[in-house]
Amino acid sequence: MRQEDGLWHRLDLVARSISPFFVTLLLVLLGLLPLRIADLSPIVPALALIGVFFWSVHRPDLMPVWAVFVIGFLQDLLTGSVLGPGIVGLLIAHALVVWQHRFFLAASFAVIWVAFMLVAAAALGAIWLLNCIALLAYVDPAPLFFQYLVTMAFYPCLAWAFLRGQRLFHR
Amino acid sequence: MIKPTGSEIRVASPLKAWASRFALLLLIGAAFGLMLIGRTNTLLVEDTRTAVTDMVTPILNAVSQPVDTFSGIIDQAESFTRLSAENQALKEQNARLLQWQAVARRLEAENAALRGLNNMVPDPAMSYVTARVVGDPGGAFVRTVLINAGERNGVEKGQAAITGDGLAGRVAEVGLRSARVLLLTDINSRVPVVVGAARDRAVLAGDNTNAPELLYLGPTAKVQAGDYVTTSGHGGVFPPGLPIGVVSAVSEKGVRVKPFVDWAHMEVLRIVDYEMTGILDFEAQVGAARAAAVAGNPQ
Repeated sequence: MRQEDGLWHRLDLVARSISPFFVTLLLVLLGLLPLRIADLSPIVPALALIGVFFWSVHRPDLMPVWAVFVIGFLQDLLTGSVLGPGIVGLLIAHALVVWQHRFFLAASFAVIWVAFMLVAAAALGAIWLLNCIALLAYVDPAPLFFQYLVTMAFYPCLAWAFLRGQRLFHR
Repeated sequence: MIKPTGSEIRVASPLKAWASRFALLLLIGAAFGLMLIGRTNTLLVEDTRTAVTDMVTPILNAVSQPVDTFSGIIDQAESFTRLSAENQALKEQNARLLQWQAVARRLEAENAALRGLNNMVPDPAMSYVTARVVGDPGGAFVRTVLINAGERNGVEKGQAAITGDGLAGRVAEVGLRSARVLLLTDINSRVPVVVGAARDRAVLAGDNTNAPELLYLGPTAKVQAGDYVTTSGHGGVFPPGLPIGVVSAVSEKGVRVKPFVDWAHMEVLRIVDYEMTGILDFEAQVGAARAAAVAGNPQ
């Protein structure tokens, strides 16, 4: 009986520690779904960026840098875009958060949202620049700008859901 | 918001911080390395991509079905509101199409007779694979969709993907049970086309906007807004005469084409298997047609 408890406890711990990684992978898949809404396709929110940012802020121990790399790698493969820029974008977001880690410890929800605006701008800017270099062409940044705005709008909804989930987990 | 845990304090120790910084730099370097590999060894990247896509497609296939149902319900609700107007328009269109059907039948018969007279080499037969669109990555950099048919369904690289309205794109990558279709609007898409009644040759090049551009039009070509653009069949991959769209704008900056395909409601794609079926089959067909022509005119 006691051993079983131990096993379940351990499984529970494992599930908790890998959930940020898998939830972010799930967000990558969610971004791939065809929503059949006119003109939405070019400006779908960068959901994986939200996931990586959120857990880099709140549980950096559960979102290590290699996990960010793997998420970026799979995202670039699945979206069919050039391999590399998406990884660099997510790594930049992660690095900025880790760099200012102390700032985020005391920050309120609204402040973190504002910080996300800056981090996402840097990440998407880097992605745009690297894509232009890789494609050897000037890619119209307008859809990317709208994608940025949509991502901003999505952040509070997703972050709220993640926080609720985290509280359930850590009761 | 969340109190620093023991592990977070440990991360702050200088040695660990240094190690994590090193790991970060290493991984950013690896990402740039992958970018280089993507440019030099495209086959390796493509194989990895199709393997990962193959794994994910069954999930997308299962999840995208309720999404389709839901958007179908919304479409239906929308159409209820304009049922009588739509009915009227459809009746008028039906009358017009019946006239066209008569014309097309007459022309088809005439065409067949003329082809027979000239012993024209018949076009290779077309066959279709129909697949559902299960993934649409979106974003600013690519215009592709994933379909739930692959190698084992007979889909091959380079084949044309069409909807009821016209050409949507071509198959760019094929996995075992999934394939990626590069849409006409993608920045990497180039399709040989003919424009208007004069059948001027050009290349339709996407640039990630909704209106791809016509390149390499001859200096004597007179293109106007409203001209029809169809595939030319040059290169032998696409069948000739597939409708693509109409010229929407002619200006100093270039000629733009508005494709017929409704990108927002592209739920099913037909993959056209043409020519690539093998030269042997094609020659057999030509031989059979010649034999039939000889038998038809015993002189």
